[in-house]
Amino acid sequence: MLDLRVPSGWFFVILGAILVGMGLFAPDLRAPLTETNVNLYSGLPMLAFGGFLLIMAWRAVRK
Amino acid sequence: MKLAAVDYVILATYFAFVIGIGWMLRKKVSTSGDFLLSGRSVPVWITSLAFIAANLGAQELIGMAASGAKYGIMTAHFYWVGAIPAMLFMGIFMMPFYYGSKARSVPEFLKMRFDEKTRGYNAITFAVMTVFSSGISMYALGLLLHLVLNWDFNVCVLASAAIVLAYTYLGGLTSAIYNEVLQFFLIVAGFAPLAILACAKAGGWQGIVSRLPSNMTHSWHYMGSASQNPMGVELFGMVAGLGFVLSFGYWCTNFLVVQRAMAADSMSAARRTPLLGAIPKMFLPFIVILPGIAAVALAKMVGPDGAHLYDLPLKAGGTVKDYDQVLTTLMARFYPAGLLGVGLTGLMASFMSGMAGNVTAFNTVFTYDIYQSYIRKSAPDSHYLMVGRMTTIVGVALSIGAAYVARSYNNIMDLLQFVFGFVNAPLFATFLLGMFWKRSTANGAFSGMVSGTVAASLTWGLTVAEGKGGIFGTVYTFPSVMAQNFWIAIFAFSACFLVTVVVSLMTAPRPEKELEGLVYGLTKIRHDEGAKWWQRPAPLAICVSVLVILLNIWFA
Repeated sequence: MLDLRVPSGWFFVILGAILVGMGLFAPDLRAPLTETNVNLYSGLPMLAFGGFLLIMAWRAVRK
Repeated sequence: MKLAAVDYVILATYFAFVIGIGWMLRKKVSTSGDFLLSGRSVPVWITSLAFIAANLGAQELIGMAASGAKYGIMTAHFYWVGAIPAMLFMGIFMMPFYYGSKARSVPEFLKMRFDEKTRGYNAITFAVMTVFSSGISMYALGLLLHLVLNWDFNVCVLASAAIVLAYTYLGGLTSAIYNEVLQFFLIVAGFAPLAILACAKAGGWQGIVSRLPSNMTHSWHYMGSASQNPMGVELFGMVAGLGFVLSFGYWCTNFLVVQRAMAADSMSAARRTPLLGAIPKMFLPFIVILPGIAAVALAKMVGPDGAHLYDLPLKAGGTVKDYDQVLTTLMARFYPAGLLGVGLTGLMASFMSGMAGNVTAFNTVFTYDIYQSYIRKSAPDSHYLMVGRMTTIVGVALSIGAAYVARSYNNIMDLLQFVFGFVNAPLFATFLLGMFWKRSTANGAFSGMVSGTVAASLTWGLTVAEGKGGIFGTVYTFPSVMAQNFWIAIFAFSACFLVTVVVSLMTAPRPEKELEGLVYGLTKIRHDEGAKWWQRPAPLAICVSVLVILLNIWFA
């Protein structure tokens, strides 16, 4: 049976990487009401969440 | 609002993943049970999240932000009063009968407990209702994307339906459920930043409180009389109508959500599904309602250039506020390219989770409760698997049709939703008596359901709210449509309850032997003695109750 943590994990790793990439390479990108590098700060938790899911899935396989 | 290339990349990645999950699960489907019921093999953390995600359609998301802007924190009652108690009840008291009876669907449970006509009535109304509600939701999404992004309505509707069809056709219910979990994560990822950014900009909760009328930032304080709170609802109508009849009717008897719990891999997991789902569910208002409330505060704040930070959107060419656009216009103000893609993908994900929920519930009820019961009774299982797959295609096609009907005849759809409301409102009384009173009989249940529907129609026909209803004359005028809806539900439930009891007492009871596993008192419920406390339903339900009470006190 497919371990859902694997595709979900990869999805968030990719999503997070895209946002962090945007945050790093276009750090001045702003929406009308934002003052911070929103892409970077929201991409990092997504990257971490994706990584967490992948680690959990990997641990389950190793057992 | 305009999207950048990166936003489209995010959207495309999401589409690739949902279809990919369906593709990876396709081999798991070899029987009709695998396709329509997931073979009862899904882990509990997945069923719990799918349980709330199937309910979290695009219409709910758009509607909750809209209601947040219109009514304030009172909107959270739809979660803390209108969902959590019913979810707990369902897990603790009702799931043992649904799961234990081995019924494949809610209508089939009615057949086992009562008789064929109760099942038929429930199955047919439910099947029609799911098709129309996924159509309406598709229409709402198409309209919104057309308004904010100027995308073509036809392309939006057809493309999103095609993707849902692809993954539900491939992997059946398992695929729908697995994707619902991914969609749930994505909804949180796409909307939580908006809640945080909008709230921070408005000066935090304190800043919002200082800028809004006090009846928008208190959920209970102004419930004493209908005229004091923005919803126009009084305490009894809210607690009895929404908190009891409507929410228990939805969460405990609607096959769309019950199906998720029934896909769990054990009785204990099935019971814990709504209980565990209740934990994220109670915090969802902070993601889906809070942005709407913050929007109102932002609309009162002035930037350095002298303009308002945000203007509540208006209907085209008018001065009437269009609250349904609050969510997307707020995103445009706060999300730069990149995160904007995530937000819109989240909206798309919510639409798909809602639609797939409807489609998978529709195909199960159609295949087992209509086709197998009335059209072709004994065929090999492979035949029903084929019918299930075909029904998936037909269900999606009918939903698309319904979306276009909604587009051209908006009033007909309103009317239909009304009519189904009448059919649904009394249902909980039928299940309550069926599961907990062994004396209730089939004829009692059926006449109760019909009388409940009649009572609902009469209440609507004899009362007026905001100019609606009252086609048979006006006996009473409600301060708001919401109050009217709550009271329609109360009358429908009471009529169904009373008539079921009276008719049951006049008809012959079923022998107790036949009711084992279906009725409380005649069913052995296992209590998971060896399990750890957090794996047992009762302690879990107590924890959830304490948390939700604390939230209610905090925002009272």
